[in-house]
Amino acid sequence: MRTHHSPARRHGETVDRVSGRIVTAGVAPPYSRLAPEQCAALSEASLEILERTGVRLLAPEAVELLARGGAAISEGNRARIPRRLVERALETAPRRVVLHDRSGRPALPLEGARTYFGPGSDCPRIVDHRTGERRAARLADVRDAARLCDALPNIDFVMSLFIPSDAPPALADRLQFEAMVGNTTKPIVFVTYEMSGCADVVAMAEAVAGGADALRERPFVACYINVTSGLVHNTDALEKLLFLAGKGLPALYVPVVSGGTSGPMTMAGGLALSNAGALAGLVISQLKREGAPFVLPGFGGDALDMRTMVDPYCAPEPRGMAESLGHRYGLPLFTLGGGSESKVVDGQASVEAGLTMLLGALSGGHLFHDLGYLESGLTGSLAQLAVCNEIAGWIASATAPVEITPETLALDLIDAAGPEGSFLKLPHTRRHMRERWYPTLFDRDNHAGWLAKGGRSLSDRAAEQVSAILERHRPEPLPAEAAAAVRAIVARAAGDIPAALETEASRA
Amino acid sequence: MHDGLLAAMRRSILDGDPDRSAALAREAIERGLPPLDAVRHGFVPGLDEVGEGFAKGDLFLPDLVMAGEAMKAATAVLEPELQKTGARREILGRIVLGTVRGDIHEIGKTLVSTMLAAAGFEVHDVGVDVPAETFADRAREVGADIVGLSALLTTTMTAQRDVVRALDRDGLRPRVKVIVGGAPVTRAWAEEIGADGYGEDAVAAVSLARSLVGR
Repeated sequence: MRTHHSPARRHGETVDRVSGRIVTAGVAPPYSRLAPEQCAALSEASLEILERTGVRLLAPEAVELLARGGAAISEGNRARIPRRLVERALETAPRRVVLHDRSGRPALPLEGARTYFGPGSDCPRIVDHRTGERRAARLADVRDAARLCDALPNIDFVMSLFIPSDAPPALADRLQFEAMVGNTTKPIVFVTYEMSGCADVVAMAEAVAGGADALRERPFVACYINVTSGLVHNTDALEKLLFLAGKGLPALYVPVVSGGTSGPMTMAGGLALSNAGALAGLVISQLKREGAPFVLPGFGGDALDMRTMVDPYCAPEPRGMAESLGHRYGLPLFTLGGGSESKVVDGQASVEAGLTMLLGALSGGHLFHDLGYLESGLTGSLAQLAVCNEIAGWIASATAPVEITPETLALDLIDAAGPEGSFLKLPHTRRHMRERWYPTLFDRDNHAGWLAKGGRSLSDRAAEQVSAILERHRPEPLPAEAAAAVRAIVARAAGDIPAALETEASRA
Repeated sequence: MHDGLLAAMRRSILDGDPDRSAALAREAIERGLPPLDAVRHGFVPGLDEVGEGFAKGDLFLPDLVMAGEAMKAATAVLEPELQKTGARREILGRIVLGTVRGDIHEIGKTLVSTMLAAAGFEVHDVGVDVPAETFADRAREVGADIVGLSALLTTTMTAQRDVVRALDRDGLRPRVKVIVGGAPVTRAWAEEIGADGYGEDAVAAVSLARSLVGR
């Protein structure tokens, strides 16, 4: 796709007056849902939960680390964590994590007010942009999604939008990663079911990066870990966290608290509880290895829809709360939005994606995922992902710093043109006209022009854009040696797992 | 002559008040109201009304859950009296329900369990991460009509098939029906593993269970 304009600077950036360099650190987001004293009260509440109620840890190493660190252990695995451990961990965890691209160039500094957009992960179903059919997702869809993300200019990182139904379930996570790393150079956030999958994916990433040290110094992957609940941390989640901390690789650690079922119905209590769980993870990661990169969840305070029992992805009430709290801690955040509860690419899907993405960007959401989700995360859509790319471009322009200089004020030109002056023929106009944002999907034609192009809706145009990109876009290939190393790890895992690689999967 | 008492019983279910419903059940026994009448004309109408309100979207899930709790408290008081008189409380069927081995997801399974109990099934919730043999053993023990299997992960979905096989092996099928659910589960999957039905959500699970027991 042709981008008519990329802003010189993006939201969340300032220019250092002395060096002229773009600076992203220490910039406060323009919007904070919570006041500082509210953040302090929530943080205090989380600390009380950890000290008073404690957290159940289903991995012995995590219990041992905390016991040695000074936590009180009861019932064998229930740790009550004193506040000094949390305060210490908040000091040692890096305040900035930089995700790199596949070739090791710095790409996404997660800090300050920056927000980077990426898709959601692991939808079992897809609404096929070619037919509109809702069907089980396949490995080919994972590849297409990665390739599309690689091409879309406002998609900053990649996740596996789909769970491939045509891959052996126990091997799907390795195949998802192989499909992504072969089809994009952008940073990848991966998810695995079990610890063994996490180790295999990290091994693949190390092979691509050129070794463990290279990957630690220039990480192009981060692992998204889902934790059972605020105060129950499952074995796989903890083992992954400890493994990643040991390797010095970024972990996105997200305890899942659902208001009214696994946490209080009220947003404050829900967020205090999920944040307590996240802070427990932070402490464990820092006890394992001081300075290990750790990304806090930038969402929380959610609840099931108590009428339908659906877990909504676009509920308005908790928006921005966890981001406010996270910015108080000053740690990198993994935030959520850009999805929809709608079943199709329609007005609702656009509105829900647009509003949540805008609030995320204004709140300084850092790593913002779930673009392209429909049906509350159960179905993914490439056309919806393309719509989200358009929205992200709009937001980047709407929140870009405004430049006020003699050149942009153009007072001499205004005076020379006089009261009735025209600016159409001025070189200044041509010089600056491409600084404006021009849509690639949103329609700005007059009515006749719109009809002449088929008189189609946004969803039709988005589907066509996806087809055109997939037809044309060839991502920079993975060097043959790295691709072979990745394949070998998948094959070895297939050998370890009884369900061998199936035909479709082995064509990956 | 018991109209006031029956209305209060209905109200206690609507309010989701287990203390009140149990107290009313005791009052019914003291005043000589036949226990089966208390259930049929007092408590069940309340439960029906809650079910209708939920279906219309006026009532929320916790209303339903608490109504179920109130119903349970009342029947716990009335059950011994029912047995004395030789009458049996009518149940729609017996269901053994749980999340399959390797899967620790609880919320969806518990919702279905609550909804089935509220609809009038006797539900035996066996919890999460449950081995196939446990489902089969429990189904035999309680004389289950239906076994319900939840799985939220594509990796654990296959354990639903193991339960179907265990029930086959123990000769419990086709008398015991198997229903499956969970985010990755589809009708096609249910057919593939030889389950008797699939429900997309808890409401669908109730109508599925009703149809399987012919109600």
